[in-house]
Amino acid sequence: MSGAALTQPAPRLRLSVSQEWLLAGAIVVLFVVVGLINPRFVASRNLQTILLGNAYVAVAAIGMSMVIVSGNIDISVGSLIGVLATVSGSLAVAGVPSVLAWLLPIALGVVVMAAQGAVVAYLGLPSIVVTLGMLSILKGGLISVTNGVWISNLPDDYHLAQWSLFGVVPVPVLFMLVLTVAAAWWMRNTATGRGIYAVGGNAEAARLCGIGRQRTVLMVFAIHGMFVGLAAVLFATQLSVIQSTVPPNLELTIITASVVGGVSILGGTGTVIGSTLAAVLIAAIGSSLIFVNLSPFWLRAVQGVLILITVLADIYRRRRRRGAR
Amino acid sequence: MPPTEPPIAEQAPRAGDRMSAAAQQPVLALEGVTKSFPGVQALRGVSFDILPGEVHALLGENGAGKSTLIKIMSGVHHADGGTMRLDGQPIRLGSPLAARAAGIATIYQELLLFPELTVAENVFMGHAPRRRWGALDWPAIRERTRTLFAALDINDLDPAQVVGALSVGNRQRVEILRALSQDARILVMDEPTAALTEHDVARLFAIVRRLRARGVSIVYITHRLEEVFALADRVTVLRDGEHVATRPVAETDRADLIHMMVGRRIESLFPKTAVKIGPPVLELRGLSRPPLTRDVSLTVHAGEIVGLAGLVGSGRSELAQAIFGATPATGGSILVNGQAVRVRSVAEARRLGIAYVPEDRATQGLIRPMTVRENTSLAVLSDLARLGFIDRAAEARLAQETVAQFGVRTAGIEQVVGRLSGGNQQKIVLGKWLAAKPKILILDEPTRGIDVGAKAEIHRLMSELAGRGLAVLMISSELPEVLGMSDRVLVMRDGALAGAFPRAEAAQERVAAAMMGGA
Amino acid sequence: MSDRSAALRLPRLAAHELVLLVILIVALAVLAALSDRFFTLDNLLNQGMLMTEVGLMAMPMTFVIVTGGIDLSVGSALGMCAILLGYSWHNWGFPLPLAIGFALLAGAAGGFVNGWFITRLNVPPLIMTIATLALYRGLAEGISQAHSVRGYPDWFYGLGQGALFGVPSQLWLFFAAILVFGVILGFTTFGRALRAIGFNETGARFSGVPVDRIKLIIYTASGTMAGLAAWIFVSRVSTTRSDMGTGMELDVIAAVVLGGTSIFGGVGTVFGTVLGLLLIQLLKDGLALTGVKGDATIMVIGTVLIASILVTSFAERRRDAARASNPRSPRATTTEGRETP
Repeated sequence: MSGAALTQPAPRLRLSVSQEWLLAGAIVVLFVVVGLINPRFVASRNLQTILLGNAYVAVAAIGMSMVIVSGNIDISVGSLIGVLATVSGSLAVAGVPSVLAWLLPIALGVVVMAAQGAVVAYLGLPSIVVTLGMLSILKGGLISVTNGVWISNLPDDYHLAQWSLFGVVPVPVLFMLVLTVAAAWWMRNTATGRGIYAVGGNAEAARLCGIGRQRTVLMVFAIHGMFVGLAAVLFATQLSVIQSTVPPNLELTIITASVVGGVSILGGTGTVIGSTLAAVLIAAIGSSLIFVNLSPFWLRAVQGVLILITVLADIYRRRRRRGAR
Repeated sequence: MPPTEPPIAEQAPRAGDRMSAAAQQPVLALEGVTKSFPGVQALRGVSFDILPGEVHALLGENGAGKSTLIKIMSGVHHADGGTMRLDGQPIRLGSPLAARAAGIATIYQELLLFPELTVAENVFMGHAPRRRWGALDWPAIRERTRTLFAALDINDLDPAQVVGALSVGNRQRVEILRALSQDARILVMDEPTAALTEHDVARLFAIVRRLRARGVSIVYITHRLEEVFALADRVTVLRDGEHVATRPVAETDRADLIHMMVGRRIESLFPKTAVKIGPPVLELRGLSRPPLTRDVSLTVHAGEIVGLAGLVGSGRSELAQAIFGATPATGGSILVNGQAVRVRSVAEARRLGIAYVPEDRATQGLIRPMTVRENTSLAVLSDLARLGFIDRAAEARLAQETVAQFGVRTAGIEQVVGRLSGGNQQKIVLGKWLAAKPKILILDEPTRGIDVGAKAEIHRLMSELAGRGLAVLMISSELPEVLGMSDRVLVMRDGALAGAFPRAEAAQERVAAAMMGGA
Repeated sequence: MSDRSAALRLPRLAAHELVLLVILIVALAVLAALSDRFFTLDNLLNQGMLMTEVGLMAMPMTFVIVTGGIDLSVGSALGMCAILLGYSWHNWGFPLPLAIGFALLAGAAGGFVNGWFITRLNVPPLIMTIATLALYRGLAEGISQAHSVRGYPDWFYGLGQGALFGVPSQLWLFFAAILVFGVILGFTTFGRALRAIGFNETGARFSGVPVDRIKLIIYTASGTMAGLAAWIFVSRVSTTRSDMGTGMELDVIAAVVLGGTSIFGGVGTVFGTVLGLLLIQLLKDGLALTGVKGDATIMVIGTVLIASILVTSFAERRRDAARASNPRSPRATTTEGRETP
């Protein structure tokens, strides 16, 4: 029995490392195949559209991944992005310097999420119920305050996408890349970051290691709030007109990115590199449907199947691991 | 010992020093510790000490107070009375974390690891070496993990392996490494070999000896006497929450220890009445469900109590759950009243008249947030219902009868079961299954965690039930219970039957020897 | 000690419902005072009609949540069933009654798929129904290509827009569902089994409760009710669109949780769910009538939801604290709820 542990390389390890490679591979295959069918798909303008239009999803998915790794979930994220985007736009139109119009929503995001995190961590209420209630409050609050009025005439220097690094990487995409790498590094290489995995994996064992569940959950929600604020700003600044709505089921798309990226809903495992790759993959699939003459209305079905495949693969993996013991 | 001893071992006391152990100051000393739980006095003035670099075995039957004692040492429970001294200084351990900080690490049977993380990370979670800006120093973590491997002569683990993929024995070694990485001076091990294979046991022994050589003190709790003689320097025996004796292992022997563990007036506790044995009711022929049920054949007759002895992990509960359909058998056959039957689910078992009172009351036996009424009727709900509608009056009547018949001390049938004492909870589980009017009653550790008075009551009930013609199969880790209650004793080891003794021949030593094997 | 706690226990079980009932009565009184159009039979029946779809789905959802599970896919299942109803009739040439049956069957199948994966492969309900939330909506969108179907024959509108004995037809169905589901949860072996599973699945299994079969049944029921709600919805609004029922799962869950069903399982009543539904719908309507904008009412509902579970949670904490200080209580002396040694 113990000999098996010696000769058999841990299957779980190799596969879990490869979750990110798998997604990267899937993206490459998708671009090659669809590109062969229709070269316009791989034209740089389309690539830019895919990345620019979805950078905010990937950024929000970073925070969501942390929340799910800690063993919680947040379904208020979509409506919070809507609220914060409106706040940001309103500030910009009201003549507030753009820098503040970018920063204040982020601060507000931290406050709102930290409040939810405190309720989840210290009052022990399930995160799904708390964030469900918050979803209603934010959604209803937004429309009733704005009356659904659109925000236009945004100042010129408000739009982040007008700048780019070396003229190639637009600022929102730069944000996505830098934040993903930074968050991945932080979660991988700091004691606090590892604490999130510890709490999500085995809260009791974490407590014995001096890592408190309550403190960690509160922190994770607060950080998630920062990413949601950033996502809202990235979302708002790519629009010429900010409506008080977000794409339908945005929270679902963000959760999907996390789950397909390899974050287990049971907590304790997954990386943000995976979730960002998954966000890009989902966006690319959505875009590719048009290029291969498939109706984009199938996108959501593809998303559903994608989650199912990921979950089944995970179950298969766990079974094999149990068999390896 | 290998020639390349780590330098730290130089300071460690040698075997010769251990002989003069009495002269040394204990690392940890408990004096007159008392602790009570609702309805149970778990510890009555127990004293216990651990010397530097010794393996101190802690022996006792289930319920003797071993678990409570180590939970006090590891900061989980707080003693009601008595003192605890670390290096001669009085200390108070407010939490498990405080105990760890004081250098006392505990390895429970239920390992506290992070299954998704690597070996190295599990070892250093919470106290990993860092570099600038709080960054974890991964090379150092891996290096120090390897150093720990070397110190314990472990060469078949990889620091980068994910812990969830490891065998139980390997995961246990990861926990030991973690304790060591925190410079634990006292390592408390709660039945560490219970779930291990023989090979893993041998490796664990080697590690324990190496730890001792490094000066680590080890409190070793076990049921297996041969382990005491193989490993320990001193042994302390607890019985019914009292300290019986502490002796150097060299000055004691097997018979002595068994006598100290079980030495009590057995007769009063075990009111076994002679019953006329009827025809066979339950027969197993080569029943299998690998790995823990292997080719088991046995017969239980009407009116007979068959005791099933064996160590924890010998496959007794697994056998019971295969008979009961909770984890259906994959091979062999089951006969009820001479008829071959198939048991694929608990519901089928119930229809066949098989009842199982499980070992784990809290998760398997009861729905603790539900009331006495709802629990007593759960297994027979369909009989109490017409067209699916529960007959509340009949249900209440059943609950009342159960409470009266078993003398359950409860405020009423609407009392939440989780608030009853252990003994009363067990009576509810029994009552629940007797309501199903079984022909075969399997009892799995029927008196675990129950105080002596309630124990005797449960035993009286068992006798009475056998008297009514039930076939009773009783699993127990308490030898006196097995010997006192059974008409026949069967012994399981490693998933197979390893011995059978009629009541007259079932002497404590013989059964114990069959349980432990090799002796 | 035990006498007192037993005496305290019964009213506690109903405490959440009692709080809701009081809130409901106060809300009714205030709203009736604020608007004379509110407390009229016409308005109340109309409101009942509007809440029927959510209400029907809230019935099996109560069961699902009582077992400690969740079904996020019901809104999407409604959309899928509505599209299958409309498309099988309009585009595939099914006779309309057959199309209705087909939609109901599709709902049942959708629920069965959830239940099968959850019981056979041990997929957590949350993740399974998130996947089918996307999948079923995707099927609705993909099949219909976002085209709507209208022009049903007149008889078809009888269910959604007609009335029987002066009461909207679908309300009869809703009443029947409340009765059936309420009786099942409150009085039958099935209902008892649901609670047992929610409290302690292993314990239920070891007592001979067919846990997997029961779960399969309730998830299938959840999908079937989504199909029924789809039929009523299409009939009420005279059209079939692929975005029907978007986000409705949250309304359903909010009503169930507001009604006192614990997301941890074991605790919950159909009566509570009905109170939750009523409170949400009447708040929406009453606030709208008194001039509060529609969307502010969603906000009020979110607040009421969080406030109600906070109050319940505080009440439980105080009770636990009282229990912890009681030396004879078993829970107080064990760590992590383990048995005392």
